Amino acid sequence: MPKTANTNAEISAPHTTTEPTVVVRDLRQRYGDFEAVKGVSFEIRPGELFALLGTNGAGKTTTIETLEGFRAPSAGTVRVFGQDPLGQPVGVRERTNAVLQGSGLMEDLSVDETLALARDLAADPREPDEILRLIGLADKRGLRVRQLSGGQKRRLDLGLALLTRPEVLYLDEPTTGMDPEARHETWRIITDLKREGVAVLLTTHYLEEAERLADRLAIMHRGEVHVEGTLGEVLAGWGDRVSFLLPSDVRTDDLPELEGAEVEVQTREQRLWATYTVREGDVADRAHHAVAALMAWAGERGGTLQHLQVRGASLEDVFLRVADGAANLVGE
Amino acid sequence: MTTTKGTDRRPGPGPLRQALRLGRTEFTLFVRYKTALMYLIMPLILLMPVANMESVPVLGEYTTTDLALVGTIGAIALFLGLGHPSNVFTARREALVLKRLRVSGVPQTAIFGGVFLVVLLFTLLIAALIVGGSMALGGSMPVDPVMLVFSVVLGCSAMTLLGLLVTPFVSNAESAQMLSMVPMMALLFLSGSFIPLEAMPDTLRQVALLLPVAPTVEMAQAAYVGYDVFGGFEGAERVGFLGLWAGALPNIGVMLVWIVGLALLVRRYFVWDPRRP
Repeated sequence: MPKTANTNAEISAPHTTTEPTVVVRDLRQRYGDFEAVKGVSFEIRPGELFALLGTNGAGKTTTIETLEGFRAPSAGTVRVFGQDPLGQPVGVRERTNAVLQGSGLMEDLSVDETLALARDLAADPREPDEILRLIGLADKRGLRVRQLSGGQKRRLDLGLALLTRPEVLYLDEPTTGMDPEARHETWRIITDLKREGVAVLLTTHYLEEAERLADRLAIMHRGEVHVEGTLGEVLAGWGDRVSFLLPSDVRTDDLPELEGAEVEVQTREQRLWATYTVREGDVADRAHHAVAALMAWAGERGGTLQHLQVRGASLEDVFLRVADGAANLVGE
Repeated sequence: MTTTKGTDRRPGPGPLRQALRLGRTEFTLFVRYKTALMYLIMPLILLMPVANMESVPVLGEYTTTDLALVGTIGAIALFLGLGHPSNVFTARREALVLKRLRVSGVPQTAIFGGVFLVVLLFTLLIAALIVGGSMALGGSMPVDPVMLVFSVVLGCSAMTLLGLLVTPFVSNAESAQMLSMVPMMALLFLSGSFIPLEAMPDTLRQVALLLPVAPTVEMAQAAYVGYDVFGGFEGAERVGFLGLWAGALPNIGVMLVWIVGLALLVRRYFVWDPRRP
């Protein structure tokens, strides 16, 4: 192996796990007049899963393709193990692998033949039998790939990506087409990979998947990252919501003002509902303070807060806000 | 499950072993991929006019039929090399198969090497059938089998690279088949396999010998008969091993220039990704 590869390998050794293995800085990708990626930056450390979410055409796959070494950045830099991945230099290609957005399997080979080929081409492979057990296709090993269902092919894709023992793994919508059971099994496999110190980049349309797996995540829209951070940080920014049925004798203007919260009144099922969105204050107890204040207010009025609901934000709320924000921009 | 860190990774199998392994899979797929058999049948069609030709002795005991028969070997590399890689590599690029191989760490040279090997294997196989058939009908052994095989290697290399160069221009296997027909037909008529180089006007013959098929056809004929036919059949002398190779040098040179040039073009223009901006 060339000297550079050894030097870089030391960086990712366990005793210095704080060094990121994947670094993206101000990445821009331009196709003619169209800019698909507009200044994206992130890092992924060993054992960490970074989820890149976004609508179709947000620039996620282009970003992954740049990391995979298929595209030179129009501007900015990408580094994998400290090296430029363009053209897949040996120090990068033998230590990374991917599940592509589409399958990429040779349909006329059997499952066994597919795994045997991958094993023989790899430097330090896992055994096909181990992979078959892991992806639950041991009873399908004699079938031609074209006879597998979409979800089974997706599991084989993941199996092939794991077979080379990658230290960096790019997963582009890896659970598309899987049934819920297979999806949960895949999540378990990915969690194990993280535990072993693999740095994972995941894109997905299933927000639950990102909520379960991601250590950090970013929501992209039209080439830009709109929200980024740990799941907690991302949700904290969106705020907690306290809602209740507006008492018939209370006008909107009569609702109390709460510090660090905004109130909104909406009509649902021909009744008026008040919703306070609490964005400021300590994440741990801001909802409590808001509810306490509202209950005190209701107590003074001698009534109750009917149908009281308190909920934190979900990733879906944040995602839709980013997508909606963009929809508004289109409208303007 | 364990993940090996970069420092204690074993060295990879290397592009040569990877190409041989991919060649094995290419062979399996070639046999399973039924339409590929078409490329095996096409050269046989070429043999039909040869069989109906009037057989005239030209070089000692060798007849025009013998020379035409050996000349078809060049056309096989043309059909297989241009036809098969352009077709399957377009289909595989669109199905993300090529990208899947690349992201799992297989270098470009190994992937191209695998398809070259299957083209070479089947071309040699048909060449052996032709030579064997000729011998069964009372013909003789090739005088210089090494040069015969070498001409096939050169032809397959150039044609495989040319086939790979078709792929960036098309978006599906069907268009790849159509587009590859254009250079295939042009090169076939100027190859010396279909119309003997002897029958061409002198200028056309010289142009043909600068293209990447005719030089291999001439080499195959020379290798089979042991005559220095590189200046034409007329006045060709029977020469020894070294004399034959010395005569072949210009043809080898032309082929190497093509191979290097085409390889550089493939390296620069081959497209791995079906997505187009």
